[in-house]
Amino acid sequence: MGKILMKGNEAIGEAAIRAGCLNYFAYPITPQSEVAEYLSRRMPEVGGVFLQGESEIAVGYMLFGAAGCGARVFTTSSSPGISLMGEALSYISSAQCPAVFVNIVRGGPGLGGILPSQADYFQATKGGGHGDYRLLVMAPDGVQEAVEMVMMAFPLAEKYRNPVMILGDGLIGQMMEPVEFPDHLKSEPSNKDDWATNGMDTRKSNERNLVKSLFLNAELLEEHNRVLKAKYDRMKKEEVRYEPYNIDTDYQVLIVSYGIISRVCRTAIDNLKAEGFEVAMIRPKTLFPFPEKAIEEAASKDSCKVVVSIELSMGQMVEDVERSVHGKRPVQWFGRSGGDIPTPEEIIDVIKSFVTL
Amino acid sequence: MERLTGIVVIVGNYGSGKTEVSINLAVNRKRAGIDVRVADLDLVNPYFRTREARARLSELGIDVVVPPEKYLQADLPILSPVIAGMIRRPSQLTLIDAGGNDVGATVLATLADSFRDKRVHMLQIVNPFRPFTDTISGCLKMRDDIEKASKMTVSGIVGNANLIDETSIEDIYKGYDFVKALSDESRLPLEFITVAIELLPEIDVERFSCPVLPIERQLVPPWKKAAKLN
Repeated sequence: MGKILMKGNEAIGEAAIRAGCLNYFAYPITPQSEVAEYLSRRMPEVGGVFLQGESEIAVGYMLFGAAGCGARVFTTSSSPGISLMGEALSYISSAQCPAVFVNIVRGGPGLGGILPSQADYFQATKGGGHGDYRLLVMAPDGVQEAVEMVMMAFPLAEKYRNPVMILGDGLIGQMMEPVEFPDHLKSEPSNKDDWATNGMDTRKSNERNLVKSLFLNAELLEEHNRVLKAKYDRMKKEEVRYEPYNIDTDYQVLIVSYGIISRVCRTAIDNLKAEGFEVAMIRPKTLFPFPEKAIEEAASKDSCKVVVSIELSMGQMVEDVERSVHGKRPVQWFGRSGGDIPTPEEIIDVIKSFVTL
Repeated sequence: MERLTGIVVIVGNYGSGKTEVSINLAVNRKRAGIDVRVADLDLVNPYFRTREARARLSELGIDVVVPPEKYLQADLPILSPVIAGMIRRPSQLTLIDAGGNDVGATVLATLADSFRDKRVHMLQIVNPFRPFTDTISGCLKMRDDIEKASKMTVSGIVGNANLIDETSIEDIYKGYDFVKALSDESRLPLEFITVAIELLPEIDVERFSCPVLPIERQLVPPWKKAAKLN
């Protein structure tokens, strides 16, 4: 059978297995618990490990331990659970261990709600844990892309020896779409003998490896932070991903939108096109690194009057959009944050209101 | 589908299409002049439940029983006491949309007292394009798990083969052959299969030994429009 019909959460679990990750530690939380449920059944079938931690804090450090030993490992959670993993994320980043985190975002702050949201944009792209660290953050707009991003995440985490985060939302986790698991995205785990605590016998070496994040000496800590910064700079050069939509027209409005809400924007753009009103979109697929140049270029087009950041939050990505546009065009924001996703009609009204300002 | 009267319980694995089938079956029967009530018993999953289509069903005169408004979007296991009452005094057709897998069906066991001495059809919805029910043995295991959890017996099968918008005619025929084989293997009647209403004109219904329920899709993502129900 070719395609199968999967819920986003199930597909994320299966994608990790297909990517060669056989270690999954997690703690359940709505709206991503189906990942744990699915993998509690699938991991034993493929000889993998499913382990439910006693809390998200524990899970975060289980990932640190496994990743430090050189194993491919991942977890999934939702907003408050990711907050609890924040400390471990910082440690893992500092210790330069590859690991994959999936956040199926729900409404916040606090306990918030269980409906879809993009309110963890800051947490994912600007920190969440302490210290100078960055995550490579990818945001899928549907179930198939979630599959592909999860499969890509493991080799990317290994390339940079850095955690990769997939930022989804409750709807991506819960909705069903037909999916396939592309063979070309399967990958072999990289050789980690240079740094992982995978055992001196295993790597036939007399040198010990040490995985750590403690640097008490000021010079050594600064040197370490420069090493990390060089990796983040390299990500900015090599990993920017985005999708332009309707960009070859004389559009009056440029939308910047990512994840599930970009699907609504796409329908709005199609409907406006039928009215003879051209609107384009840049959809960031990586949130860090952010497609700054693409947005600046698209905003600079003569026909473009205004740039609108449309997000399921009270205005987070808009700060990166403003930074990218460099004041060349006015930047507006529209967002919803309770869990109700706007309809294409609502987006159309918003776009028109910004043009007639 | 005419023989489906009294209490009909819809079970199946997660994402098999229980809610979409329940809604469309309710509308189909209502159009045939039968009094229909629907109970949303999905205590497991907070997204894409019957309650989402409640307003549209109410307009057609179909009564939908859901938890109190203030708890509608909570992931709390709230079982409305009204449900026990509607089982004790069923309308011409009382449709109970249970939650997914054995976990979702567990709640049925708590209603055992109400079900006592009642004739109940319990239908297992099967979509062979879903994980874990893509083999006959997977479907039989799902049935066993649900029966154990619910302390009730599955009495019929509904074929709901689809890949949503990407369903082909070939998929419908393959899906039918699959559930027919499941019906033969399990000795459970194939009550009906579903076909998206857009595909129906291209389908040779003479190929099927069971009725076909046309699906007018109601549970859609926000960028799509639910089919208009008349």
